[in-house]
Amino acid sequence: MHIHELNPWRTLIVLTVFVAIMIVGFVTMREPLLTYEMDMKTSVAETKSDDSCFYLWQLVGFIEKENADVVLFDIRDNFVFGQGHIPGAENLSAQNLAREESIARLEELKNKNTTVVLYGDDQLQANGPVMLFRQVGFDNVKALVGGYQYYKQHKDDLLATQNDSTLMQEIARYNYAEMAAPTNGAAINKVSQKKTVEVTRRKKTAAVAGGC
Amino acid sequence: MDRNYIYLTILMLVLAIGTLLVNNEPKLKQIEPQQLLLEMVQPTRYVTTDQIAKMIIHGDPSLELVDVRSADEFEQFALPRSVNIPLDSLINSSSLGYFGIPGTKVVFVSNDDIAADQAWVLTKRLGFKGTYVMRGGLNCWMETIINPQEPSEGSPNTAYETYAFRKGAQQYFTGAKAEVAEGSKVKVEVQRRKKTSAVAGGC
Repeated sequence: MHIHELNPWRTLIVLTVFVAIMIVGFVTMREPLLTYEMDMKTSVAETKSDDSCFYLWQLVGFIEKENADVVLFDIRDNFVFGQGHIPGAENLSAQNLAREESIARLEELKNKNTTVVLYGDDQLQANGPVMLFRQVGFDNVKALVGGYQYYKQHKDDLLATQNDSTLMQEIARYNYAEMAAPTNGAAINKVSQKKTVEVTRRKKTAAVAGGC
Repeated sequence: MDRNYIYLTILMLVLAIGTLLVNNEPKLKQIEPQQLLLEMVQPTRYVTTDQIAKMIIHGDPSLELVDVRSADEFEQFALPRSVNIPLDSLINSSSLGYFGIPGTKVVFVSNDDIAADQAWVLTKRLGFKGTYVMRGGLNCWMETIINPQEPSEGSPNTAYETYAFRKGAQQYFTGAKAEVAEGSKVKVEVQRRKKTSAVAGGC
């Protein structure tokens, strides 16, 4: 006699328990703190867009405390922050960005539709974190173009930076090909025209100079 | 007995249909966002133009320069031994083959360093190791290697050493080797001893 024939419900019970355990497992699975919400393709496309850029002149209202929908985070470390920072900025050093409370803060700001601007010493420092946060769904996070160094140079007249062409990123500032060409156009050709070393012999002036 | 098999069959059918709903898009392996965040706050991915120049001059076989500018810009000027992978074709399967080869250092190069850093973030997200960013990009390359500025007086000794290296590198990269031959070649001067007195000498 086959064992299943003892209780025809046995398989069904086992199956139900199995499915129930699976469901409980999935439900209680600890969700990772961050998950990518932007796939690779969109992320690549986003590198061409201007959405993640926040410009210095847009900060004018913020610094004068008129603009409440922008929060500025300084991601340099605490020591450097203490030596000087953009007025109104909060310090959230890069090392602490991955912490749960930082993420929670960003989450809260996102829900309030607040623009979060990150800046580091230069734009490069904020570039990575901003890209990552945008990829995990915080599309309110932007990077301050130029970073703190640029702010420091222009803090007296932020609005004037609106027309600053040096701010343009990823533009060749030199004509590379021309600049890296041989220093004077003919330099390479000169190799062939080898200069002959001229050996001039002194004339013997004295008639009686001796020798063998 | 039959009923049990029916249950099992139904379960299998359900699971089979379930697999149809699973996203079929070929997924690239990615690292955890948190891991990525921790890695990107380390400045270890940056290499200087001097380091790159040194590696090129020494013919370091582990160096793989990846130029992420457009094909046009690449055509006009590119660093020696670099390959062109424009940023928008970075994750094409043909491009991905360049990354993650054990023992190679992939260094991203762009006009500045933002685009190169973006390429770094994107490839890092896919879990590739051994990728770097040339700090300052080609603009900085021009300023430091192709047209180095002499350090001001009173600069530390290292500044002069760097300058001396850059000057040499400049000659290497601008093909101005002829200049080296002219400028630094020791002039052959044939100096003859002066004979002081008329009667000096004799064997």
